[in-house]
Amino acid sequence: MKWYKKTAFLLALPWLVTFVVFWLFPLVYSFIIGFTDYELLSDSINWVGFENYKTLLSDEVFLSSLSNTFIFVFGTIPFTTIISLLLALLVNGNYKGRDFFRSAFFMPSVTSMVVIALIFTNLYQRGGYIAMLAQMLGFTTPEYGFLFDKNTALYSIMAMDIWMSVGYYMLIFLAGLKSIPDELYEAADISGASQSKKFFSITLPLLRPVALFILVVNSIKSFQVFQEIFVMTKGKFDTSTAVYYIYDTGLTTNFQFGYVSAAAYILFVIIGLFSLTQFLLIRRRQSLW
Amino acid sequence: MKKIFIYFTAIFLLMISSSIAKTSLEWWQFWTDPTIKPVINKMITEFETINPDIEINVTDLTWSNGHEKIVIAFSSGTAPDIVELGSDWIAQFASKNKIADITKLSKNEFGDYRGWNMATYNDKIYAKPWFLGTRVIFYNKTLLKKAGFDDSFIPYKWDDLKNGAREITALGKKYYGWGSNTAEKHRLYKKFMPFFWSNKAQLFTDDNKFCVLSSIKAIEAIKLYAWLHDSCGYVDNQRGIEDAFLDGKIGFIISGDWLLKRIELEKRRINFGTTLIPGPTLPGRSFLGGEFLAISENSKNKEAAKKFIDFITSAENQIEFCKANRTATPSSKLASQDEYFTSNPNLLIFNKQIHLAVNPPVDPDWVKIEAIIEEAVEEIIFNTDLIAEPLLDAQRKIEKIKGIE
Repeated sequence: MKWYKKTAFLLALPWLVTFVVFWLFPLVYSFIIGFTDYELLSDSINWVGFENYKTLLSDEVFLSSLSNTFIFVFGTIPFTTIISLLLALLVNGNYKGRDFFRSAFFMPSVTSMVVIALIFTNLYQRGGYIAMLAQMLGFTTPEYGFLFDKNTALYSIMAMDIWMSVGYYMLIFLAGLKSIPDELYEAADISGASQSKKFFSITLPLLRPVALFILVVNSIKSFQVFQEIFVMTKGKFDTSTAVYYIYDTGLTTNFQFGYVSAAAYILFVIIGLFSLTQFLLIRRRQSLW
Repeated sequence: MKKIFIYFTAIFLLMISSSIAKTSLEWWQFWTDPTIKPVINKMITEFETINPDIEINVTDLTWSNGHEKIVIAFSSGTAPDIVELGSDWIAQFASKNKIADITKLSKNEFGDYRGWNMATYNDKIYAKPWFLGTRVIFYNKTLLKKAGFDDSFIPYKWDDLKNGAREITALGKKYYGWGSNTAEKHRLYKKFMPFFWSNKAQLFTDDNKFCVLSSIKAIEAIKLYAWLHDSCGYVDNQRGIEDAFLDGKIGFIISGDWLLKRIELEKRRINFGTTLIPGPTLPGRSFLGGEFLAISENSKNKEAAKKFIDFITSAENQIEFCKANRTATPSSKLASQDEYFTSNPNLLIFNKQIHLAVNPPVDPDWVKIEAIIEEAVEEIIFNTDLIAEPLLDAQRKIEKIKGIE
């Protein structure tokens, strides 16, 4: 091996070791134990083939958690994407106080999820500000608070998640907007294009790679939603999601690591397929455009 | 020069031999509160002074994830020598041979401590009781007076509780008769089961062949619980309920001795009383749990570990701990007779309730059974008007876990 290759290898070694020990090994190991009946406190491990996968597909609690995860993903991503794009357009102009708004919108993204979840838990409770506001506007509010009702609990958490995420994606959209050459807008102005024409014909098509990135990242994050559920409802009131189910079944109730590893791989495959579909769809549309 | 070399070598060898001779014990425990941690540290120092050959290394756990850490430590073979366990967890670790059978080591102490039954699995004892824990009724005397009850009113029976809660709720929008727990894991069943046990309902038949969670007695108990929740309930998590009680909004709540500590430390000016859990006609049964000290099966220093456990759980140390932590119910019978417990009417109520308290079955599947019961209670009080069906459904699930056909 030549000296520069050795040096490169040595420089990459710390990362490689971390990757193998903390990422690759758990990934392969959990895939293997997904085919066993391994329980945390048990000394014996037996190969059970696809039994865990079969049981999971008829496990009502898992399926309900998976369904909640899909509701969370499809219920948050469109709003997060659209609102963050609108905010990016808002803070892209030149006006007084623009930097303040940029910082204000971004602030929730750098605040701890636990802190935000606790604040929202208070806001959502019976007699809290949100309930009072809703009552003032003539809406009926849940008797014991938004988080203690299975008709509102998950949606309340989703609303909080949207509020918290938009600032981060706004910043990415803003970076995308800044990379669009001014010449294109100048040319459109000379041609007499309206604001909406410029938006749909220049801004939106050129933001597509950024939108794809946001969609993929946000999907993966939403499929893995856990902290909000853990802090706010502990999976109660029909808010359990796939990752919360994996945590709860694997670490607090049954300790069936083999079983929950299989559940984790089902989620892994779903996220993989979802991301791939998003890539393919957007690439196809790009070629059409 | 030669002499100096010999002296240094001798000192060096002495230091090495003393460190080799020392037995090092790892102890995992949950008491991190600033009022109690110094007491724990002081006890360790005292023990190490009396036993210079033993060294104690403490690791603090938290209630939010301590159980998970213990499970992982036992699974990976890195469990400490001594571990503090909640009573609900003992069977789980004992059934997998993760904690040591201490029956022989404890045979001379059975008469001196309460709570051994919670640490007994398959006729063997796996942990020593440290503190017991139960729940009693806390009631707001000011609200009761406002609602027309005289000073002597104490809710001994279900009807008293219902009347009191109803009248307090009728005082106005700001007031609630009953503090009702939301669907909190590991908490909700501790609030429902006292009604269940007080009505002499059982989880399993005496021969353990059938689960009878949906019996008439159980249905009567859940009906009362649901009535309190629906008609008079201030619904929140345990902390929220206690906050509202201390703010004078709630008439009756079920709580533990930690609330006495809070009232004292926060200097709350609330005119409150404590009483036994009411039953249908007489004072009823409460939940019984406790903190236990167990020795890891893999520990190479079991005798030293037992020595330390005996020291920590001695009557004197329990009294000291209880005074610092305001714990009401030591496991040591001798400690429970101390004036500290007998002269305080609230602590006395807790010690009376201990005699009228029931512990959940010592069953490795209890954590799963508990979750099923909580789901059924949650369904009844929050989601449906049906009473028997969710209990019957839970009964079937428990039968499935226990392999009952």
